[in-house]
Amino acid sequence: MADVRIRPMNELDIEGICRVDEKITGRYRPEVWERRIAYYIRRDPDSSQVAESDGRVVGFMLGEVRGGEFGLEEPTGWVEFFGVDPGAREKGIGRRLIEALLGHFRAKGAHVARTMVAAQDKDIAAFIAAMGFAPAPVTALEKRL
Amino acid sequence: MNDDVRTLPKPYHDAIEHWQRHNFPDYPKLAEEWDRFFPKDEPFCLCAKIASDIPDEVEVGDRKGEPKALAPKELPEEAAQHLLTAIRAQASTEFGSIQQHQGTLARAQEPQDHAWALRVMAEELRHGYQMVHLLTSADWSPVTQTSAADMVEEILSMQTGSHVLAAFNLEYDSFLDNVVFAAFIDRVGKYQLTMQKISAYKPYAASMPPMLREEAFHLAAGVIPLRRWVEAAARGDGYITMAAIRKAIHKWFGRGLEMFGDERGGQTNVKYGLKDLANREAQDMYVAELERMLDDLNERYVRSRFPQVSREEADRRFARVKEGETVDGVRPDDLLQLPDRRFFRRRGEPAYQMVGAHGETFTDVEPYIAHVLANLPEAYRASIDVKHWADLQRKVARGEMPLKEAINSMPRLARVGGSCPCAKSVRWVMESAAK
Repeated sequence: MADVRIRPMNELDIEGICRVDEKITGRYRPEVWERRIAYYIRRDPDSSQVAESDGRVVGFMLGEVRGGEFGLEEPTGWVEFFGVDPGAREKGIGRRLIEALLGHFRAKGAHVARTMVAAQDKDIAAFIAAMGFAPAPVTALEKRL
Repeated sequence: MNDDVRTLPKPYHDAIEHWQRHNFPDYPKLAEEWDRFFPKDEPFCLCAKIASDIPDEVEVGDRKGEPKALAPKELPEEAAQHLLTAIRAQASTEFGSIQQHQGTLARAQEPQDHAWALRVMAEELRHGYQMVHLLTSADWSPVTQTSAADMVEEILSMQTGSHVLAAFNLEYDSFLDNVVFAAFIDRVGKYQLTMQKISAYKPYAASMPPMLREEAFHLAAGVIPLRRWVEAAARGDGYITMAAIRKAIHKWFGRGLEMFGDERGGQTNVKYGLKDLANREAQDMYVAELERMLDDLNERYVRSRFPQVSREEADRRFARVKEGETVDGVRPDDLLQLPDRRFFRRRGEPAYQMVGAHGETFTDVEPYIAHVLANLPEAYRASIDVKHWADLQRKVARGEMPLKEAINSMPRLARVGGSCPCAKSVRWVMESAAK
């Protein structure tokens, strides 16, 4: 694999992100990613990051700094969507993406980053833990409707 | 990393609000649509935003390493002249694009497209405000006899047809133009802002990052509707065909290229530390980015034409069509592609060369004009702009007009110092501002 470059995501990454997502989930969901990517670009285009190799997107991490959610008033860097092409894993791309994202969060004045991981996503939980995230003193709750 | 927010002195602020009422009457709808389409976003602010984390030293050119200028008089006189010309031209583009968008804004088919275009227009208004801030917050007397109030008056008096750059003198024919403009012309804007981010004039450099952040959304407001339209076109249930998009690209591409300036120039801006790329270099990067954009759109088109095949198979089919093969009914001509850079050019190195959309050369002017017309949107063909171009093309080809004269010819004379349409004796900027 050619050198991997980490850079802020832009509107021309949509198809590349759809491709990575499709490889992971088996579903082609352009409308979903168009909506999400438009949201992050609109709010802070320097925040979300992609990994690019040989002109192709091989990983992405979407997030932003927000405050006031769930009673957490302090500016918080939220890590919300990420994926790495299965053929490009084990090369430190996830680590580089999250380092770039956390660097941006710090520059925006956040002192804490948060994310949520589904209990069954053991690989993701292991990755997030390896990146220094620890269980937070908040509980995710749900009610089926 | 928070921006410093500045408001113009009241006469100028009022002048811009007055201009908005005449030229951007849909502006109040933005507040109505904001909570629905941009619910978590900071409210729109008609203000100048100044970035704080700008280097203090000149980053490129002959004065690299020296302190950046904080006032025009601290720049070499020629550099200050270049800078003032650039600010006035940029101001013209910001206000000009609003006038263009307004004409067809109401024709958006989707509420989201309407809201996005509305936000783009409001942010262009803010960018125009930012340029007026640059003109009115510094003393430009070392390089111009014109007062700040008169410079602002001139900018606010421009109409579609009398702006500085040709791309802002074309009327939109439909909402397709709102979207293609955002994808193509706002992308030139992104390049200009990025190059100017290193400006040796610190107030200008500090104006760029907030504008660039907003410009990123403007590009998305072009690309994302285009993605949806090519997908609908592939399904056969779209109102907008690939051919219509292709013709709109032909309308705008050359004008976008010309916004970079003559391909052979731009070194003076680099020398003075006002930009970090010469014109051709920046134009090459722009074209490469557009090719990537069209690849993405074409990939989506092919994927939608063959929804039953795997991603890998769709990729293979796309590669074959791109190489010139017709695959299961998808022809190379069905895809979007950029015309040759020399096609339909009126300024720069290839101005008035008779080169077709695919790079073919013409020796006779009438077949060339017929070729260009066949490749442009029908509504645009009927415009004064196209007629003006065809007249000049004929004169240049027949040796009846020097090339330089044709390059400098505009379809309408600039109307400088015009008055507000609500009372012919009233200026946009009230006289008190001139003091």
